[in-house]
Amino acid sequence: MTLRADHIAGAFFIAFGLLVIALSGDLPVGSLSFPGAGFMPHVLAVLTISFGIVLVARASESKPFATLSWADAKHAALVVLVTAAAAAVFEWLGFLTTDVLLIFALLVIIERKRLVPAAAYSIGLVVFTYVLFVYVLKTPLETGPLGF
Amino acid sequence: METTLHSLYLGFSVALEPHNAWYAFLGCVVGTLVGVLPGVGPLAGISILLPVTFGLNATQAIIMLAGIYYGSQYGGSTTSILMRIPGEASSVMTCIDGYAMAQKGRAGSALCIAAVGSWIGGTFGVLVLTVVAPPLATIALRFGPPEYTALLVLGLIFLAYMSSSSLIRTLLMACLGLLLGMIGIDNMTGHFRYSFDLAELGDGIGIVPVAVGLFGLGEILSTPSADAVKTIISPKLRELLPTRKEWREASMPIGRGTLLGFFIGIIPGSAHIISSFLSYALEKRVSRRPEQFGKGAVAGVAGPETANNAASTGAFVPMLALGIPTSPITAVLIGALMLHGVQVGPTLVNEHPDVFWGFVASMYVGNVMLLALNLPLVSLFVWVLRIPYAYLYPLIIMFCIIGVYETNNSIVDVWIMLIMGILGYALRKFEFDPAPLVLGLVIAPILEQSLRQSLIMSNGNYFIFFNRPIAAGLMLVSAFLLALSGFSFLMKRKDWRDQLAEAEAGEPSA
Repeated sequence: MTLRADHIAGAFFIAFGLLVIALSGDLPVGSLSFPGAGFMPHVLAVLTISFGIVLVARASESKPFATLSWADAKHAALVVLVTAAAAAVFEWLGFLTTDVLLIFALLVIIERKRLVPAAAYSIGLVVFTYVLFVYVLKTPLETGPLGF
Repeated sequence: METTLHSLYLGFSVALEPHNAWYAFLGCVVGTLVGVLPGVGPLAGISILLPVTFGLNATQAIIMLAGIYYGSQYGGSTTSILMRIPGEASSVMTCIDGYAMAQKGRAGSALCIAAVGSWIGGTFGVLVLTVVAPPLATIALRFGPPEYTALLVLGLIFLAYMSSSSLIRTLLMACLGLLLGMIGIDNMTGHFRYSFDLAELGDGIGIVPVAVGLFGLGEILSTPSADAVKTIISPKLRELLPTRKEWREASMPIGRGTLLGFFIGIIPGSAHIISSFLSYALEKRVSRRPEQFGKGAVAGVAGPETANNAASTGAFVPMLALGIPTSPITAVLIGALMLHGVQVGPTLVNEHPDVFWGFVASMYVGNVMLLALNLPLVSLFVWVLRIPYAYLYPLIIMFCIIGVYETNNSIVDVWIMLIMGILGYALRKFEFDPAPLVLGLVIAPILEQSLRQSLIMSNGNYFIFFNRPIAAGLMLVSAFLLALSGFSFLMKRKDWRDQLAEAEAGEPSA
């Protein structure tokens, strides 16, 4: 049997539905007439599992899993990593520093741009955005240890 | 009628105030850019720019955000026609014949027809909105929890029936969204649900991080910069006027697209996307020369472009009259008004006439602005498209972070956005449309609360949904649609999605 995209997708939804039921253990389900806090989540989890099963059952209509292209996965993973690093330091370093580093890292590490243009673009863009938000639009942005 | 005209006069006096007109203009320009730039749809665009409106009053905020929405429908056609890249999802159908026209040297005509069609569709939508929304709001005042439950159930079923992806996929996405909407404190009992001791999750997951993650970051992750190669056809200003024959060919599709788009817009779902798909299929079916479709048929540009604009205006009817979001975009707009202390619903027209009528009038003004903007400034928008994608997407990521963080000043929201970005990337790989997920997330708390309130009202008797006329009527329509879908599913009959897919592929329809 060929493993197809919908086998994987269906299995994910079945697992997700089961996870929701497992996590809903302490929520009162109530009754059909008077639903409790856990009623809707249980109903939705059961529906998710049911639809997941239908997806798996009809998986032959989908593409073989092996034919899905993952050529963009490395790029995507790198973007996620750099953005996650920025999120981790955002409240500590503030908007200006974090975003200059974020854009510089994306341009240099992922896009292989030269250092000087990348630095100029990063600093110019972030400073412009900072001025736009803070002084023109009067929307304060997160400040770092140096007060900006 | 006299009251409506008087109220509209009030609306124009609000919309034409210099400050308000400026924000309408700003929204239209930004919206056009959002539509032009591939990878930034109107939902991500509005969500990202939500914090920008914090310094504005409610009227200015809604005028600007709505301008971004309908502006993006105008802008989306530019990239579709000139580059064969849909600036946003509702412009996918325009790519086919718009680009073919551009290759024949008729790029200017295609852009002009798209802009004029968009203007007619948008303006018609606002006209009907002006007339229909206030009386509808009066009727909606009679809505209680059972009617709202029935309406939301109908919305979900309609969404599944009308979605451009398969029924099961749409239902799965809606379930996932509804489940995400269950996170946070249960309003009826005070129980914490799936908040994992994170105080930030007590209020549930916000629509902004989810929308920006799925549609903004998710799109960036799916678009490696090396793939974003662009060949841009740049039309000259003097080439913008279509010939008399082209106007004739465009007139009926514009008329049909206007009506079709508006009525689909009222129905829950990603109406502006679905309407353009259906309009294309309709034009191909009624055309005397269907073989021209795909080779530069004027109707293939005029119909879908008109329909998506009419639909985006139509979506404002249930939003303004009932306070119900029929799409993720109107949900964000409702959220934006709530941030400014304005409760959207049947009482809006009486409690905040300046906001309601100012907003309606601003759409008349905005549509004229867009018509004036899009044609002469097409060269400017083409210039924006020349910015290399490698430099563009870091800018979008920065705005995603600002937009998400600033809404609640919460870094947890940024993490949610990141997780949703990864989910959005995976969903695209497995051919799931994330729009029903966002809609599910938005309506989950309203649906659950109205269902439970209805059952309390009826002492646990489900007949409350069938012995009240409005609720019963809505339930009947839901049952009919379910039966129709179930019949197609069991009989393995082709529904409109399959027929459309075949029409696009140029295969005969069974």
